[in-house]
Amino acid sequence: MNFDEKKIIINVKDLNKSFDSKIVLKDINFHLLQGESLAIIGESGSGKSVLLKNIIGLLQPDTGSIKINSTEIVNLPRKDKETLLLKLGITFQHGALFDSLKVWENIIFKIQNQKKLSETEGRQLAFSIIKKLGLKPEILDLFPSEISGGMQKRVAIARAICGDPKILLFDEPTSGLDPVTGSMIDDLIIRAVKTIGASAITITHDMASVSRIADKVILIDNETISWSGTPKQMLKSKNLKIQNFIKSTNPQLFS
Amino acid sequence: MTKLIFNFLGSIGQKCMKFISHIGHFFIFCYGAISWIIRPPWYLKKIITQMIDIGYFSLPVVGLTTFFSGMVLALQTYNGFTEFNSETTVARVVLTSITRELGPVLTGLMVAGRVGAKMAAEIATMRVTEQIDALGTLGTRPMQYLIAPKIIASVICIPFLVLIGNTIGILGGYIIAIYKLDFNPNLYLNATLEYLQFIDVVQGTVKAAIFGLIISTVSCYFGYFATKGAEGVGYATTVSVVVSSVMILTSTYIITALFFG
Repeated sequence: MNFDEKKIIINVKDLNKSFDSKIVLKDINFHLLQGESLAIIGESGSGKSVLLKNIIGLLQPDTGSIKINSTEIVNLPRKDKETLLLKLGITFQHGALFDSLKVWENIIFKIQNQKKLSETEGRQLAFSIIKKLGLKPEILDLFPSEISGGMQKRVAIARAICGDPKILLFDEPTSGLDPVTGSMIDDLIIRAVKTIGASAITITHDMASVSRIADKVILIDNETISWSGTPKQMLKSKNLKIQNFIKSTNPQLFS
Repeated sequence: MTKLIFNFLGSIGQKCMKFISHIGHFFIFCYGAISWIIRPPWYLKKIITQMIDIGYFSLPVVGLTTFFSGMVLALQTYNGFTEFNSETTVARVVLTSITRELGPVLTGLMVAGRVGAKMAAEIATMRVTEQIDALGTLGTRPMQYLIAPKIIASVICIPFLVLIGNTIGILGGYIIAIYKLDFNPNLYLNATLEYLQFIDVVQGTVKAAIFGLIISTVSCYFGYFATKGAEGVGYATTVSVVVSSVMILTSTYIITALFFG
């Protein structure tokens, strides 16, 4: 398929968002194509997570348009929004696993709501997913509070990819993980994009991860998209903010 | 000086507006929550878990409170009525006070402290750790999955707790009357049964159901809109117990006035 012929999966146009008098996002414009992996970078507090929450409808933009699969989600009726969200796999910054449910119940939560699975089927499905993330089956019967932060992160990713959604949104999936596990998560994102043709948006500070997983990168700075391009262009960019960002996070990438 | 007065009046105005806005939000929240109760799917497992937590695990604290209240009531009434026909009077005062007021109110306050605080803290923690946001993205409505089972369980369980608490309270009064005040057991029991009014039990049960609604909706409301991390969870917990308690004490007067006014 020609790159230009690819379908636009997410299209954000002229998005503005502020909280009281504080402007957080200003004139945000970008799109995500089918089978594309987009990385959003930016300093902490630059509004990356707010942008993600606008895309999934948890926050309402002040003005602008957000289309997912050509459906405008701003002011979309609740029921239609719920149906649309089922097609998405989302991870939150801090995992957001349900404390009262065991790990396997967390992983199959969305699927369980759509089709009733028996406990054995549920466990098998959860196990098949955590295997890909390098987790051991013993954790399936534990509660999130009984596993480490890194494991929680991976379980949250397992929950997001359960059911093979075609749109994946990750908020800092590798933060707090060791480099080996981080690269495992990167491989998983790459595999999802390349093999099942999923489209992914990843918010991250890990520039090594960006250069591995992303087809396209956007930098959010001063409430707006101040730079966009491919990872290769990013590494060669003369843009001071990009250079500072890379130097301060992964200086070895320059060498 | 004028500026100071204006600032003072302004801050009062702001607080009043915030209070009115809270009331408005609260009623919208209650409407939303209650409307989800009547719509499927019903999460039966969650409702049963909540019923066990609210009903079964609150029994010791409710039993203990009403038991000692019944005992104290018998002792105090006896001191005040020694010159009169105290056996019948003590039985009557204990029975009426427990079934009409003390049973439901003490149970309500105990449950607000134990269960209401837990509900508020649990939901507030889920809010500040993005679990409620995550629920919404996983095809589950937080109101229906989290709030509705708590309201259903509270409205069903607290009336039963009150009925059990009333019985234990009356038993407390009986024990003091018989073993400390040397009343005739038959006379005391007959007097208790004679003065037992169906309307008192109904009124106590209605109060309990309303208290259940108050505790669950207030606690869930403050938890659901919690902000600012751990501090927000603490605030939601404290304020939910305070508001629930005040609303229980206010509404008990209104219900009593409606039944007996």
